[in-house]
Amino acid sequence: MSPEGLRARSLVLRAVRSWFDRHGYLEVPTPVLVPSPALEENLFAVQAADGWLRTSPEFALKKVLAAGLPRIYEVAPCFREREAGPWHGREFLMLEWYRAGAELDDLMDDVEALVAAAREALGRPAPPAWRRTTVSALFREVLGLELSTASTEALAPGESSWDHAFFRRWVEDIEPTLTDAVIVSDWPASQAALARVRTDHAWPVACRFEAYIDGVELANAFLELTDPVEQRRRFEEANRARRAAGEEAHPVDEALIEAVGRMPRTAGIAMGLDRLVAVAAGWSGIHAGRVPMTPPLPS
Amino acid sequence: MYETSDIRNGLKVEVDGKPWTITYFQFVKPGKGCAFTRTKMKNLINGSTLERTFKTGEKLAPAAVEEHKMQYLYEDGEFFHFMNTEDYEQVGISVEAVGDTKHFLVEEMEVQVLFYKGNPVNIDLPNFVELQITYCEPGVRGNTAQGATKPAEMSTGLTVNVPLFIENEEWLKIDTRTGEYVERVRK
Repeated sequence: MSPEGLRARSLVLRAVRSWFDRHGYLEVPTPVLVPSPALEENLFAVQAADGWLRTSPEFALKKVLAAGLPRIYEVAPCFREREAGPWHGREFLMLEWYRAGAELDDLMDDVEALVAAAREALGRPAPPAWRRTTVSALFREVLGLELSTASTEALAPGESSWDHAFFRRWVEDIEPTLTDAVIVSDWPASQAALARVRTDHAWPVACRFEAYIDGVELANAFLELTDPVEQRRRFEEANRARRAAGEEAHPVDEALIEAVGRMPRTAGIAMGLDRLVAVAAGWSGIHAGRVPMTPPLPS
Repeated sequence: MYETSDIRNGLKVEVDGKPWTITYFQFVKPGKGCAFTRTKMKNLINGSTLERTFKTGEKLAPAAVEEHKMQYLYEDGEFFHFMNTEDYEQVGISVEAVGDTKHFLVEEMEVQVLFYKGNPVNIDLPNFVELQITYCEPGVRGNTAQGATKPAEMSTGLTVNVPLFIENEEWLKIDTRTGEYVERVRK
C-alpha cells in the first residue's frame, strides 16, 4: 500500500466507470454472499455464514441478463481460497461486463480500449499494437507441438490428466513468452467452463479468449453458453472432478441453469481490476494499489 | 516433506539427488487451470542454477543440510576458510560454491556454514551486513531530491546505489538478500 498506489487505483476505477457509462452499460451490484459458488475443478470458495463468498459475479449477472438488461457491468469484490502471491490476493476486485448480441471480437476491442483508457488515466501511453493468436498456434510456435493430436504423455509425462499436462506446458513454456500485449483464443473444449464449444475446427475448442499483458493474465472472455442441459452436464462433471480430487462438491444453482436457458446470445468477460491497475501503472504485482488486511487472520 | 506453500527464498530442498537453495519463487494459476509455483534454485555444491515448476500438491524433499555457526577467516583463491569458534576446527568452501555471496563477506564475520552429508558445501549469510565504502563521489549536503542516488564501491567489491548525502569511507548497513543500501551506521 502507498498513497501513489491507492491514487492510481482510484484514477483507473474512475476511468473504467466513465468508459462503461459512455458505452451505454449499467452498473449492477450483485450479492457477495451466495448460496452456490463457482463450480469449477480448480476454484476454491471461502465459506461464510450458511453459504459462500462469490468467486466471481458471473452467476448473478447472467440472471440479470435473463431478466432483460442487455449491457451490464460490475466492479465486484470477489474471494478465492488458496491463491496468494504478487499477482493474487484472497480478496480482489473483479471487473465483469456482458454484451448481449456481441461477439468475442467486440470484447477484444473493449479490452484494448479499456487498457488504453486505464493507461491514459495514469498519464501513460497505450500499449503498442495487440497481437491476436490462438492456443494451438502458440504450442506450434513455441514447442513445435500439434495440440489437437498431442497425448498427455507427449505434453508432460507423468501428469494425471490431459488438462494438467496442458497447464504444465502452458505455465513452464508458453506463458513466459507472452511478454507483449496478446489475446489468445480457441482454448481446449475441456476448459470451456461457461463458454460455448465450436466443432467446426480441426478439434473442438471453447469460444473463449484470454488477454495477457507483460506476462500477466488480465482477462478471460466467453461467448456464453445458453444451453441449460449442457450447462447442467458441465456442472455435474466439475463436481465429479472435484470429488475425485478430494474436494467437496458444490450445490448446483438451479436458478442459474434456468437463466442460462433464457438469456440472449451474449459475450461476457471477467478482468482482474487490481491487475489492470498494476499493468497500467507498470508495477510488478497488485499489492501497491491495495489496502492490506491488518492484522492478518491467525492461520 | 515440504508443500508448495512452504516454498520461500533460502529454503533448502533436494531435487534430482542434489541439494539446492531456492532463490526465486512465484505463485501462478491460469484462470481455468491448476496452481503452480515457479522456482529458480541454486546448487549448494557448485553454484549452478535450475528452473523448476511445482504443481500444487507436489511434495519437495528437504535437503539433508546441517548448519553450524562459524567465523570467516580468509580466502586463498581456491577456497574461503571458516572456523568454528568453539573447537577451532577449520573448513574450506570452494570459490564456485560461494559465488557472488563473496561480495558480502568481511573477515571475522559470523555466517552459517552448511554441511551436506557431513561435508561443508556452502554458507548462509545474515540478512544484514555492515560494509565500508572505499570509493564514492563526495556527499552533497541538503540535497533531498527524492530517490536520487549515486554508486558506491564497497571494500568487498560490491557496488550499491546510495543517497547523495553519503560520504566516502562511511560504513553502511546492506541487505544481503537484495544487495541494497539500508542505512548509515556509525563506527
